Parts: sequence; C-alpha cells; structure tokens
Amino acid sequence: MKEVHEFHVDSARYLDDHGKPLSELPPQAGNTDRVLAAYRNMVLTRTFDSKAIALQRTGKCGTYPSVLGHEVVGTAIGQGMSKSDVFVPYYRDQAAHILRGVSLRELLLYWGGDERGSAWQNCPEDLPISVPIATQCCHAVGVASAMKIRDQLRAVVCCIGDGGTSKGDFLESINLAGAWHLPVVFVVINNQWAISTPRSLQSSAETIAQKAISAGLPGHIVDGNDYFATIEALDAALERAHGGKGATVIEAVTYRLGDHTTADDATRYRTAEDLKRAWEKDGIKRLQNWLHDSGHWSKDKEKALQADCKQAVEQAVEEYLATEAEPPTAMLDYLFETLPAALQPQREQIANKYRGGAA
Amino acid sequence: MSAAERSNETRDVTLVEAVNMALHRAMADDENVVVLGEDIATNGGVFRATVGLKEAFGFKRVMDTPLAENLIAGTAIGMATQGLRPVAEFQFMGFIYAGMEQIVSHAARMRNRTRGRLHCPLVFRAPFGGGIHAPEHHSESTEALFAHIPGLRVVIPSSPQRAYGLLLGAIRNPDPVIFLEPKRIYRAVTQSVEDNGEALPLDTCFTLREGDDVTLITWGACVMETLQAADKLAEQGVSCEVIDVATVSPLDRETLLCSVAKTGRAVIIHEACRNGGVGAEVAASIAEAAFLDLQAPVVRVTGYDTVMPYYRNEQYYLPQVEDIVTAVEQVIAL
Amino acid sequence: MKNFKLPDLGEGLPEAEIVEWHIKVGDAVEADQVLVSVETAKAIVEVPSPQAGTIAKLYGEPGDIIHTGEPLLAFEGAGEDTGTVVGELKSSGKGDGQGAQKDRFIVGAAASSKRARANRATPGVRALAERLGVSLETIKGSGPGGLITTDDVHKQASHQKQLGDAEPLRGTRRTMAKNMALSHAQVVPVSIFEDVDIGDWKKGTDTTMRLVQAIGKACDAVPELNCWFDGDNLSRQLLSEVHVGIAVDTPEGLFVPVLRDISHRNLKDLRKGLENLRDAVATRKIPPKEMQGATITLSNFGTTTGQYANPIVSPPQVAIVGAGRIREKLVPYNGAATIRRILPLSLTFDHRAATGGEASRFLGALVDALQKTG
Repeated sequence: MKEVHEFHVDSARYLDDHGKPLSELPPQAGNTDRVLAAYRNMVLTRTFDSKAIALQRTGKCGTYPSVLGHEVVGTAIGQGMSKSDVFVPYYRDQAAHILRGVSLRELLLYWGGDERGSAWQNCPEDLPISVPIATQCCHAVGVASAMKIRDQLRAVVCCIGDGGTSKGDFLESINLAGAWHLPVVFVVINNQWAISTPRSLQSSAETIAQKAISAGLPGHIVDGNDYFATIEALDAALERAHGGKGATVIEAVTYRLGDHTTADDATRYRTAEDLKRAWEKDGIKRLQNWLHDSGHWSKDKEKALQADCKQAVEQAVEEYLATEAEPPTAMLDYLFETLPAALQPQREQIANKYRGGAA
Repeated sequence: MSAAERSNETRDVTLVEAVNMALHRAMADDENVVVLGEDIATNGGVFRATVGLKEAFGFKRVMDTPLAENLIAGTAIGMATQGLRPVAEFQFMGFIYAGMEQIVSHAARMRNRTRGRLHCPLVFRAPFGGGIHAPEHHSESTEALFAHIPGLRVVIPSSPQRAYGLLLGAIRNPDPVIFLEPKRIYRAVTQSVEDNGEALPLDTCFTLREGDDVTLITWGACVMETLQAADKLAEQGVSCEVIDVATVSPLDRETLLCSVAKTGRAVIIHEACRNGGVGAEVAASIAEAAFLDLQAPVVRVTGYDTVMPYYRNEQYYLPQVEDIVTAVEQVIAL
Repeated sequence: MKNFKLPDLGEGLPEAEIVEWHIKVGDAVEADQVLVSVETAKAIVEVPSPQAGTIAKLYGEPGDIIHTGEPLLAFEGAGEDTGTVVGELKSSGKGDGQGAQKDRFIVGAAASSKRARANRATPGVRALAERLGVSLETIKGSGPGGLITTDDVHKQASHQKQLGDAEPLRGTRRTMAKNMALSHAQVVPVSIFEDVDIGDWKKGTDTTMRLVQAIGKACDAVPELNCWFDGDNLSRQLLSEVHVGIAVDTPEGLFVPVLRDISHRNLKDLRKGLENLRDAVATRKIPPKEMQGATITLSNFGTTTGQYANPIVSPPQVAIVGAGRIREKLVPYNGAATIRRILPLSLTFDHRAATGGEASRFLGALVDALQKTG
C-alpha cells in the first residue's frame, strides 16, 4: 500500500494572551492607521453590543444574539473586504456589518422586529442576516457564480459558526466552490458553542478547517482573537479569490463570551472557570496592550474613544426608538413587485381594519 | 442575431419541446438568464428539456451542478440577488423537498424581508405528476405545498402553446416562480407554436371551452381527461365550460366566479391527493363568493389520500375520464 | 446503431455461450426470426429477433460467453433516444396521422361568464320578483356588489303598479327584447339605402326568392359580409356557406328560421325549402335548431309597409338586408320620365367587422342581381 495524497492544516498566531509578539509580525502590523481603525471598530462593536442587550432586558428590543468575543474576526472580515465584494453573514456578525456600512440603527431595527433593518442603505448587495443555519453558504456560492459568469474581479465572504459546519448546506457549498473554482472565502467562526453543544460533540474531526480538504480547498486555522493572524489570513484569502485562484476556508478559533442569545442562560451548560479562562484570551485586550506597547495608544485616547463610542451608540438608540413602526399594510407591500389581484382584497381588509394608524 | 433580425419560426412542438423553445428564446433575449441543474448541460436534461442550450450559450450560462438539490436552490437564490435570472431544474418534483428550506425560507421571502432591497427573479422548474410507469418517488403532485407559501407563484402549463408563453412569463417575472411541468403529457400533444417571444400572463386562468351547464376547473395533465370528459358529456347534451387554472397561486378567483355565475355548478379535477389540495382552496373560494349562484355543491375529483402507488396500480389512483363524467352527472341531476 | 441485448433466458440464468449464428452482418431480418442459438447451463436456446431490421454488427463468435443484458448484436439505424431516464412517455402528434393542433383558449373568463356576474340576487329575492311580476333585468341592484335586494324589488313593483299592471315579457317577445339590447350594446351599425328598379321582373316573381338568390350572389362578390365576428376577442370567421335567416312576423312574434346553404342549392330546392320553413313557422312546428346558424339575415318588412329601415344586426352576423314595400315611382328612364316599379333596399352592417367599401360593394352586387330580368 502506498500513500497517494498528503494533506496538512496550518495554524497561525502572532500575539500571546497579553499582546506580546511571539514571532515576527506580518506586514499588516506596520499599517498603523489600519490597526487603529480595527481597534476602534472592536470597541464600538462591544459598546453597541452591551447596549443592545440592555435594550432587550428593558423590553425595547427583541431577542438579541451577543457578539461578545467575535469583535476581532468580524473586524478583520470588514477590513479585508473591498466595497465591491459581497458579504454573506450568519447572525453574529455585527462587527463586520458595521464596517460594511450597516448603521447601528439598522441593526437595532432588525433585532427590534422591523424588516427595514435589512434594507441596508450602504451595502445594498450584502445578503441579510441568516437565521436558518448554514443556508447562507449556498447563497454565497450563487453570488460567487454570478461574479464568475460575468468575469467580475469581486469576491464573496461567507460566515458560519462551528455548529453550522455539520449541516449539508455547508458541505454542499464548499464542494461547489471547489468544483466550480469560485471566488469565495468561507470564514468558520469556531466559538466553541452551538447553543449548548460544545465543539467536541459537534464533530470528531480534529479541526473544522480540514473539512476544506474534502472539497479540494485549502483550509487554514487562525487564532480568532489575534488580530494580526486573522487579518493576514483574510487578506491572503481575498487576494487569492480576487486573483481568480479559487476559494479558501478559514477556521477562526475563538470563544463565545456571551450567551447564545438574550433568551439563553449559558450557565446551564458551561462552567464559570471555562468562561474565566476564555476572558483571559480576549482579543480586544490583546490588541490594546500591543498598541500601548507600540506607543500608538494611551489612556487618554482610550477615554476619548470610549466616549465617542458611547455617544454614537446612544444616538443610534435614540433614532431607533424614535422610528415609528410601519403601517400594517406593509405586511403585503413587499411580497411581490406588484401585489397580485388575488391579494388586493386582503390588503383592503387590513387597511380598513387598522384605519387611522398602526394597531 | 438581434431580436429584430431573428425570424419568428413556427414549429410543431410537444410540451417539453415548447419548454425547450422558450428557454432558448429567453436566453437569447436576455444574457442574464442562466440555467442550472443536474444533467441539464451535456445531456440536455433527462427529458431533453434543456437540449441544445449548452451548445448555443456555453458552459458559463448552462451549468451542470453536483448532486445536491438544496445547493441548487440556494445557489440560484444567490445568483438571483446579483441580478441574474436563473432557471434551476429539479430533476423530478420528488427531489424538490431537499430544497424546500431554501425555497420557503429564502426565495419566497427575500424581497419581503429586505423591504425590496434584494429580490429573487428566478424559476424553479420540475417535471411533476404520475402516469408514466416510473419508479417510486418520481410521480409526485405536491403543488399544494408551494401554493401555501406566500411570496411564491406556482404555475402549471397544460399545452405546448401555454408552456411556451407561461415559461417566458415566469422567467420575466421579478419574483420566484415554481414551474411544474406535467410529464405525463410532455409528449402527448403536438401544437403549432410561433417562437415570437410573447409571454402569456401569469395570475390568470384560461377558458378552454365555453359551456352553460357546468364549470370544470382543472390544471396540468388532468386537462386532457377533463376535455375528453367534456366531449363525452356533450354527446349527452351537457354543455361544459372548461377552465385551465394554470397559475395555481395566486389564484384567479374572478374568472372562476364568473364562470360559476353562469353555470351554477363546479367540478374541480386534480391529480394531487384530496386533503388540503389546491382544489380545497378553489372550492372554499367558490363557496364564499358564489354561494348564491350555486345550484349544486362544489365537487372535487382527485387522487386518493395515499401515496401514489407503484406503476402497476397507478391507473387506480389517477382521476379517469369516467370519474369526471360521473361527478358531472351527479351535480347536473341536482 | 441500435443494440439488442441478450434477454433473460429464464430461471435467472446469467449467461450463455454462443453456439451458432443464423444470420450475418448485412442480412435483413424480420421480427421473431431466429438470430442465434446459445447454450445455457440447462439447454440450447434459440433467440428470436425483437424487431425487423438490418444486422449491423455481431458482438461475439461461437464459443464466446455473453451475459444477460450485454449487447448481442446491433441493428442499423439511429439508437432511439427514449427521452427519459425512468418510465415511458406516451408520444403523439408527429407522423401518426394526427397533425399538430392549434391551441385554443381565452385569457381569463368567457364574455358570457362575465355578463353572468351582473344580475345577482338571492333565491328569496328571485322568488319575490316572480311573485310581484318584476323582471330582475329591469332593476339595478343597490346591495353590495350590485346585489338586488328585496327593497329594490318592492320599489320596482310599486313603480310598475303606478303605471298600471306591467305585463312581464314572455317567450319570443322576451327573447327579442334581450337580443336587441345585446346587439345594441355591441354592434356599431351603419346603414346604406338604395332603390332597385324591378320593372323588368316577370309577373308572379317570388320577391323573397329573388332576394335570397341576390344575397347569395352578393356574398359571392363580397364574402366579407358573410361572416361571424367575435367582438370580445376581435376575430372573425369568413364562412364558405351562406345560411340566410329569414325574418318572419307571426301573431306570436318574430321568428327567424334559417334557409341553409343557398348558394349550392338549385332554385326548385330553394323554393321547397322556403315553403317548408314558412309552413313550419305558421304551424309553430319549427325546432330551435332551425333558427340557429344564420350567416346573414333578410328582413322583408315591405310585405306590410315601410320603405327604408336600419334593421338590427344579430351578432355574430355582420349584416342584415332590409327590403321595403314595392311601389311605383316616377323616375328618369332612358331619358324620359317614366313610372317604374321600385323595391327600396336597405343594408345595415356592423362597422366593427366590415368596411364601408365592402358594404357598398355588397349593396351594389345585391342591386345588380335584383335588377336582372327574371
């Protein structure tokens, strides 16, 4: 018997838990403006996130999935992508959405139960938040196919959680990405938890990245709390896609520091010690330390940034709370381009029943 | 060739050939129309519905996909959000179920949930229905599942001319259409069809025959048996109005109600099983809005509420001409 | 080439050895003709041909083993594309004598159905209307969706009472009222009038007969006026046969029996036909079928009084000829003032279906045919 193929999966990390370099940093570390912009986005995301949770707890917002712990990978995605690329998210991508141009108000509208929260003004081609797990992967390869058919130098970034990779949609999509040589980057955000199912129960594969091999694609692991490792991987994968070299799967290893959603209580299935250990690896803290050490940051700058973020979030919340709900007839107004005759009686019924404003 | 230069050939075509003609036409007229599915490119489709497309338009626009229905549906959705007009084939309706999540959770509601920012101008085609001696799972008639989903159109042609016009209409429609082709009559009838690029309107029924005594409401392959029944009944002096529903959802209630106002009697015929079938929606609509016009209860002639039998016994399941005639005789007697 | 595969020789035997070929490449064989002898584990079996055809290729020699399902030989000709991957699809149309059909359909509801949606009343209201002698068609419903209510019926009844007992129309009168209204709603009528000099007619000429024959000639000359027009779908059918509806006034009302295929019948036959029709109408023995299918109508109202008229075109017909009372008139004739017998002729046509020019030429042909001696 002889070996016909050998595969390997690499893993990248540049900073230790305290933000000290473990080896020579990639060139991205030299782009100070970009690194600072990344840090600001992470802080803004986290500030927004706590506010959103607070709104839900006070009945001003519906069920909300906290993005705590995902700030680094989301930011790297948002920075790596070009404006003409298309983002295909799942439902815990707030950090990326913010960089793509989704307003905080739009995010609040979506989770606050208003469809206009997906009518994004600034990134009109990005796909909306996807709740049915992994279904967005098929859309991603569809979008990438369209780009390829039209010979466009654009790419797609598709996000999915560790749990989602067990679903057929994910496997079917990476397979197609390989078979059709599509310009798509799959970012698996492995935050260790699919609601209460730990990573160890999700699959016996040693890594998720190796699932790429079954599709004929390269799979890379990065420390998802390490900004430099993550942005390096995203930049490389997008360059590969833009260059017509095909698809990539990136597994960003991180930890879901919050509950699955505001309706979930994670203490039911994970220990306080586990969570404490995870906080020690926090990516924002790591980058903040590195910035301090590199002389790019200060306590004053931190204070100013916190104030800015607080203000931006508060303004968004005000605008969100001041937004009136759509009239009830909106239920039928976006179903088809033109409402068919068969549905007109129902629309009239709704209009008559709720004459004089929303119920 | 430009649209002006291309001559409008008239050909004698069967239903499946008319589908092919419409696909060629749509792809020639609009470069955004693409076709994908299993075995549709090199093989031309297992029923030859897509024959010649790859040769005419190239592999970029005519794509053989891997074997994954869910992926086919989802990929078409992604393409559609980018402004392509994908026509995706499910090889048989029996295999469309794997794509239900994508169809129901995404295609049907993409426009609604993004408030019009994104939408899905796509067509999902599938041969459907029984009667061809096929193995199990290849004779499904579950159009009611899709008729129940808001945001979807369900269109079912019953003749080569209407297959041509309705498919063009479906492809040009800015919203998703499930286009179910009754395979039992794929080759049963030949008609002279002009390749003039003219679409037929969706959301409307077609009156195939005018009559005064009873309205026969049907769609798909059952149109054949219904017309034969109408002929038989004419010999008995019963004049039947025959209506091809064509767009099963959204339903053109107006045409049906006008006809029942005239005849006072309605018999609905469909191959799909009875319980919760589209016939129930038609019957309820007539009862609601034309009760005063009715002289007899609305009657349904349908498949039984069971799995379509394997082909040795499939003729016991499918509505036959005698069943339709008997049903009409019963309502006429009242 | 079309392969013939070794069929199952029975009892699940999976293979056979070729013993002897009974045909060779190039032979034309008939169905059931023995092709080859093969030996199975149990016996020597002869394999018949499944079809008629010419042998193109043999897939083995004596001594070779062929498995069930493997190609045994090939016939010449194109391998038939079954056009499916499961089951069988019934074909038709091409080459089976049944030519391609044209698809016929109306988009949406038939016009008659749309009209039926107009008069809506509950059974109770209908019964009330009947009892009070009120015709529903005289009422515009004030209920939702044009529904006729009991109030509407009562109002109409008292209105009718004030004017005296209204007599509800029955039978032919009723039909006449409905048909005239229908015609009025659809037809765009234009009339042309002309005088026919019948001074040269022989004594005892049957006017109706002459008119019928003249119509036949005019339809020959201008077939556009012998047609059925569908105003809802904007289509017309030019008809090869001329069936003249002949309006007959009786004490019971107006009847229009149809004299069929007048252009292809001889004079004697036509006369007999006309007589039969007249008798049947007089004795009220005329079946409804005899009053259907007219392609053009003749109204010979001149048998009583009146010169010119614009009688009503009856859809789907597009023309009606009116013949007025024959009278003597002082007219210029060969340069001198002369008294001549004149038949006043009217032609009303539906201008949706025919042009003024066509109508005018038709009238001209009528006049010519009538003015001939005979």
